[in-house]
Amino acid sequence: MNMPNISIKGKEYQYDERDVILFTEGLIGLPGMRRAVLIPMAEYAPFCWLASTEDERNRFIVVDPTLIYADYQPRMPEIFDGTDLKLLVIVKISSDWEQTTVNLRAPLFINPEAKKGAQVILSESRYGLAESLPLN
Amino acid sequence: MLVLSRREGEKIVIGNEIIIEVLSVTGDGVRLGIAAPKETSVHRFEVFSEIEKANQAAEAASGDLESSTALENLSAKLKSQQ
Repeated sequence: MNMPNISIKGKEYQYDERDVILFTEGLIGLPGMRRAVLIPMAEYAPFCWLASTEDERNRFIVVDPTLIYADYQPRMPEIFDGTDLKLLVIVKISSDWEQTTVNLRAPLFINPEAKKGAQVILSESRYGLAESLPLN
Repeated sequence: MLVLSRREGEKIVIGNEIIIEVLSVTGDGVRLGIAAPKETSVHRFEVFSEIEKANQAAEAASGDLESSTALENLSAKLKSQQ
């Protein structure tokens, strides 16, 4: 099967058209980020790229927050019917790893079956939008 | 921008499903009640604007090539914690 290519920061990756996730409303402030693929970083697991298939500028580093914060349990949004939703947060990487933060206030919910996603602003304000990583 | 004048208890409707009611007006504050479909997100603009900036900053930071060293460190630390 002919798999399409996607270029992420100068590297080429292949993806399956069936794995494209539709963010019907885009990301917050980025309404054009509608069709995206999740590409695991082989060298830097568990981090992944979330990359738009339509705009080469829309490249985000994301991670499953439950691997980092054992007690992070945001309320699932009602936008999707209650299936197993995948949870991701956007990472703001810094060349100094200790300055790297993640946005726990506006996580991404993805329905892997329906291939639909949305960024949701939580009403639980105890979660910050630039939380540092509890690593040492 | 459309500008409408409303009094307490009066409403406006946006599209077919979103209804905004002026609940009360006190001093320079206005309390609004918003009825919208559950898939429509409603937030104070300040919150929306903060998240927008955070998204843009994260997107810009992901282009930093030096950050791969940071990713390498973070990845190693996360793996060693598991």
